[in-house]
Parts: sequence; structure tokens; C-alpha cells
Amino acid sequence: MPMLATKKDLEFMKERLLLDRKKIDKTVIVCGGTGCKASHSQAVIDAINQELLAQDMDTTVHLRITGCHGFCEQGPIMVIEPGNIFYCHVTPEDAHEIVTTTLQNGEIIERLLYNDPVSGKKIRTEAEIPFYIAQDRQLLSQNREINPCSLEDYVAAGGFSALSKAIGSLAPQEIVHEIKVSGLRGRGGGGFPTGRKWTECYEAAGDEKYVICNADEGDPGAYMDRCVLEGNPYLVLEGMMIGAYAVGASKGYIYVRNEYPLAVKHARLAVQQARKYGLLGEDILGSSFCFDVDVARGGGAFVCGESTALMASLEGKVGEPRPKDVHTVIDGLWHKPTTLNNVETWANVPSIILNGAGWFASKGTKGSKGTKILALTGRIKNTGLVEIAMGTPIRDVVFGIGGGAIDGKAIKAVQTGGPSGGCLPVAKFDLPVDFDVLYEAGSMVGSGGMVVMDESSCMVDVAKYFLTFLQDESCGLCVPCRLGIDRMLEIITDITEGRGTLAQIDLLEELADTVTQTSLCGLGKTAANPVLSTLRYFRDEYEDHIIKKTCPAGVCKALIEYSIDAEKCTGCGRCLRACIHGAISGEKKEPHVINPELCQKCGICRSECQQEAILVK
Amino acid sequence: MLHYVTLKIDGADIHAPKGSSVLEVAIEYGICIPHLCHVPGLSDIGACRLCIVENIVNGRAQVTTSCTLKVQEGMEVRTNTDRIKRLRHNIAELLVAEAPNSRAIQDIAVRCGVKEVRYPFRNNNCVLCGRCVRACAEIWHANALGFVGRGKDRHVERPLNMREEFCKQCDYCIQLCPMTITPCDGPMKPGEEYLCGKCESQLMITEEVPDSCAWCRLGEGFNCGRYAGLKAVR
Repeated sequence: MPMLATKKDLEFMKERLLLDRKKIDKTVIVCGGTGCKASHSQAVIDAINQELLAQDMDTTVHLRITGCHGFCEQGPIMVIEPGNIFYCHVTPEDAHEIVTTTLQNGEIIERLLYNDPVSGKKIRTEAEIPFYIAQDRQLLSQNREINPCSLEDYVAAGGFSALSKAIGSLAPQEIVHEIKVSGLRGRGGGGFPTGRKWTECYEAAGDEKYVICNADEGDPGAYMDRCVLEGNPYLVLEGMMIGAYAVGASKGYIYVRNEYPLAVKHARLAVQQARKYGLLGEDILGSSFCFDVDVARGGGAFVCGESTALMASLEGKVGEPRPKDVHTVIDGLWHKPTTLNNVETWANVPSIILNGAGWFASKGTKGSKGTKILALTGRIKNTGLVEIAMGTPIRDVVFGIGGGAIDGKAIKAVQTGGPSGGCLPVAKFDLPVDFDVLYEAGSMVGSGGMVVMDESSCMVDVAKYFLTFLQDESCGLCVPCRLGIDRMLEIITDITEGRGTLAQIDLLEELADTVTQTSLCGLGKTAANPVLSTLRYFRDEYEDHIIKKTCPAGVCKALIEYSIDAEKCTGCGRCLRACIHGAISGEKKEPHVINPELCQKCGICRSECQQEAILVK
Repeated sequence: MLHYVTLKIDGADIHAPKGSSVLEVAIEYGICIPHLCHVPGLSDIGACRLCIVENIVNGRAQVTTSCTLKVQEGMEVRTNTDRIKRLRHNIAELLVAEAPNSRAIQDIAVRCGVKEVRYPFRNNNCVLCGRCVRACAEIWHANALGFVGRGKDRHVERPLNMREEFCKQCDYCIQLCPMTITPCDGPMKPGEEYLCGKCESQLMITEEVPDSCAWCRLGEGFNCGRYAGLKAVR
């Protein structure tokens, strides 16, 4: 394998690869990300491979297994170039037809095309899908261009040219300045200006410095870091190399969550390949810059995503945060200056260096620049990973890209920023996705989770869910976080079970404020956000639970009762057969009744009933 | 040679050796900041959060624990503002609701102005201040005690539940434990816990001379750094 000793070697390698690839006239792109793998994309890949071999097309058709495309619910996803033909929900049985019909004859298989749930039309190409059109895919679009296990693919797609530019013609101060001017802010949750972090680390005294990539993503329902690291580990690596050169670090760590096996594998493979090509090691690309990266696996604690806890974990200690009176850019890993950034932040660095800070700053709002990947989930038509320019209104994301509510229900709220974020009501949907604006509104952009909820969600129950999550994940070191979350959960449980009093709401607010102000680390400081934001926008729901002892959404079991509408019930017996508690009785073709003493309020009967005769009060 | 810095605590100019924490300096100068997990001579972890103060940075008051905050030239710290008093009151209330069966914690509650407890009492016998764990690790380097578990499950135990032989029977853990000092009227039974408040008269003394240490008996009760320091001198 050739070592890339100089900048010229890299350029030569790219030219040679492009020349080699001119022979290929057709490319089949299949998503091999975790989302599509879960819908058996590996079987599709194997079937297509066999079919290509059988038809003797394996030299002219290139099968590329890529990272996540973002539209995970349609998986396995396949794109055929040229033509940009988009197939979804592909099965191994379709392989023969795809190869013979589409690849040989250039005809389209109608059945595999994407059916737009909003317009009800079949859509032929990837570029025409509304889900993609409304996005600004700077990072995610690179995923389909490369096989994450192939450094050659990345180089052919123009990879490492930013690194080459940085260490060839820019001084470290110039890179730090460029990042500062670009206005890039941390994508992990805090939104701290990356340029400021790098400046402080650059100026910090010490000959030994570190860079860390935080890939310990743990927010429920969010997976953008996993997708970027799985789909394009070289981009993250290149960002880290530029960052290390800028701040003067010679060692880097990628701290990946152990529950992301594919991301661990791809990150390790990327590091190994980069070492083989001489892109990591000593005298990189003919300069005097030396840098190496290790991949460390996270031990499975949400709190390890907090920077000081992550560093403690890397040092081999218990993953608990420590006070940050002195910033980690001065006193970080092993008490050395350390720059820690999130996966998405690092991934944004190469394009800033390549295209200039002005290009990056041209997207976004005054305080938040560039694009942000959001994990759009919940009760909407289109779910998946969405990359938008900062400043896009929430409404455009939920109703435009997301396609609006399913089952004809009304959308009530969106939860942004994971457990540390908050719930925003529909009335606030005109707010832009912007670090400062969402913070003002009582929520946050956070790492980018976006869970859409409709009228079937009880906001008190949502707050309870996030508190339960945080109670489990709090390390337990400091009193406000450990006992405060515990007591908040106790109060909310009282409210959802009908024991709440109005005085408890005031206590809840006061406690939430104490936890926010006095906790040791970011987990505790933001733990009260789900409570505070639901209290701010959905106080009436809390009051309904306390005064009227009802749950308007019909979720809190202690406050609801199931019954059957005798006028609508046709006596079909579906509910009777479905009820595992034996709580439903009735004669055939006669209205059935529910015995409230036996009813466990599981809701199975409601989902079985086709007449909508099951009432929840 | 010791280097000194000058800082302001509650408006008073204070000369303090570089490297010391704001809490240590405050105790030395007789400024009363309630605290629980801090023990003179042991490392500070900022677990109990009682010693919070306002640190004025660029005109903005940041709440931080004084035990982990190192003194710096020109820094301004406020220990007794209304905001701090309110937050401290709420933390002390959480603590006393968790473990009312300790005179030390009852005294802290009184000192922080807790008049009623708005949560149901629990009768736990540990508040995870970590005094024992740090004493064991740092004084004797025995490491016979450690924290096990996370969040709600966190508790103090012999690591792997089998390091009994590591214990050097120095009894430091027992001496430092705030739970070993029972309330004056004897231990409370589960279900019969109450806020003692008997030493409220002591509070008068601390209130008459605001934010300064009046050598009240409360401090002795919760093993305050000032008394502990005195013990060490003896």
C-alpha cells in the first residue's frame, strides 16, 4: 500500500482513482447504516452481489454499501446511478428484477418507488422526494458518495484536501481564526462557540495537548452522531486532524458509545487505514505535524457524554463529572489542555477550511451558523435524519419535511434537545431552529433530537418519562441532581396518580430552579427543563390532573377509565378476544361491556376496535 | 515561599495563600458558610452543594461551590445573598427529608433556615457525602470503602463487597460520618420523623452577626471545618 508522504502523493492518488473509476458506468448504492441493517439491508446487498456475479455484470456495475441516507423508515434504501432512481423497502427477492429490469434495460420498477404520503404520488428519483428537497444536506449528502470502510472512496470524493490545505498553507492561528470567524458552535448540546474553545486551547500553556471526539451520544430518539461516524468516519477524522494541528495536539481520542458497534468498527477501521497510508503518525503529508488517534469505547453511562465525566472515563476512572471552575481547555484530560468536540462539530471543520469561513457563515442566523442535523421522530408522516440550515422554522421541519401528523390527529408539541431540552407548543412553531432563540423559549437545540407529539400524548407523562430517564442516568454524586430529580419525579408521580395538590406545582417549580442552579454538571443543570417547559406551556394539563383528576390525553392510567359506547359497538367480539385480562364480556352482536375492576387499562381493546367504540375518560 | 492573592468575600478584602479554596479561606477568616462534605485535609468533590457562593465573573454572578473554587487575585465572592440563602435552604431541606436521623443534618437544616419540610420523610442512613470514602482513600490509602452504583442506586460499600481485609480499623470513617451523631432525643423511628429545630436559638447568634462565624454549637454538631480544624490542632 502506498504511503502518502507528501501533498503531491495525495493528489496523484486521487487522480489515479478517478481515472480507474471512469470504467464503471453504473453504480448501485445500498444503505448499510444501522437503520437499514435493521430492516435487513445486508440480505439485499448479498442478493444483489450474487445476481451481479451470476449475470456477469460485476465489473461494469459498482455496488457501493454506504452509511445512512437519513430516510430510515423507508429502509432498506437503494439509489441507482446514473438516473438517481430511488427504491425503498427493497427485499432480497427484488434483486433479480432490479438487475435485469433497471440495470440492464434501464426500466423502472414502479412497485419499489417511494410513495409520498402527502400527495399520494409515486416518486421516481431521490432528488424529487419532498423529504430531501426541503433539506440542506451538507454533511449527510456525503454519506452516499463513499463506502465508510474505504479510504480510497473518501480520497476520490475529494477527502483530505482540507487537511492538505491546512497543514500545507495555513498557520495554526489562521485555522483557529477561520473557525472563529465561521461562527461554528458546538453541536453536542451546549452550543459553545468552537472558535473560542480552540483559541483558549491554542493559547493554553503546555507542550502536551489532546483533542477528543465525543461520540457518546445517548439522548433517547437521537442518532445523528452515530450516523455521521458510521457513514463517514474519515470526515470526522479529518476534522480532528485539522483541529489537532490548530491547537497543537499530538494525540486524539474518539470516545464512542459501546452500544454503537458499527460506529466503533468503522471508526477503528478508518484509524487503521489512515495509519497505513501515513495520514496518521509522524510527519504527516511531508510536514512536521505528528498526530495519532485511538478509539475508546464508552462504558454505557449517559453522564459520560458530559466532558469531564468523559475524560475521567478515558483516564480509566469512574465516569463522574468534576467541577469545571477551571475549563477543560486548560485543565482537561490528564490535567492537560484538551479540546473536546462533538462528532458533528468535527465533521463541519473540513468544509469550513476548504470553502472558507464566509461560505459557512452565509448559512444560518446571526448567532447560529451552518447546518444542523436533526433526528426527526414521533407522530409524523416522514421520520429520519434531517439536515437543515440553522434558522429554519420548526414549522417547516415538522410540517414540510415531516409531512405533518398521521392518523388525522392534531400535532400538539415538539420536544427538542433530548432529556435536557423542553417541549414547545404548536404556537411556538414559527421559532427558528437557533441556539439562542430556543434557549430563550425554554428549550434547546441540544444535540438535535426532535420528537413530535400529537394530542394522544400527555405532557405530564412526557415530563415524567424524561425525569425517570434522568433519575436512572444521574451519577448520584451531587445532592440537587440525585435527590432533586428523585423528589421532582415523586411529585409528578403524585400528580399523574391523582394525589397532586396545587401547592405541589409551586414546590416543583422551586425545586426545578434549585436543581438548575446548583447542580454540579450539565446533566443536572438541564435536568429540570422538561418539567419547566411543560409547566410553562401546558400548565392547564397539570391543573386538569390536580383539580379535575382527569388526564385529557387519556394516558395516565390512574385517572382514566375505559368503557364501550353501546351505540357504536356492533358486538363483533374483537375486543373480547384481544383482552388478555378477561375484562370484557358480552353476547355476539350485542354491545359489550368492560368490567372496570378487571380492566388494566392497557389499551389493546382500543387499538383492536374498528368501530371506535372504546371510550377513554 | 507562599504566594498571596487578594480577594473580596462579602465586601471584605481578604489576603489568602494561593492554591487554597474559598471555603478554607472563609472559615479561617470566620465567615460562616455551611458545608457537609468538606473535611479539612481531604480533597473536595463538591457533592453536598451546601457551600455554594456567588462568584462574580464579568459582572455576572455564577453559583458555584466554594470548596472547589480556588482563590484568585481580584476575585469577588458573595456568600450570603438572598439567592444563595434560598438555594441553600432548598438543598438543606432535601437533605433533612432524606436523613432526618442525624443531628448533624438537623443542625444544617436549622442553620439554613428550614422551618418545614415539604417532602415526605425518608429514613435513609447515608447521604453519600463521601467523607468516609475520601478519608479511607486519602489518609490511610486503604481504599476499603468506595461508591458503588449510579444515581438512585449509589451507595457506599466495600469494593466488590470483598475488600474487608483492606480495612485498617482506624475508625476515621465512623468519626467523620454525619449519621453517627443521633438527634438529642434519640433516634427517630421510621414513620415518626420530624424536623427537630431545637437549636433554633443558636440560629439567633448567627443571624445577629450575619455571615460571620459565631462559634455556634451548630457547627460542632455538623463537624464544621472550624471545629474539625481545632480538633486537629489539639
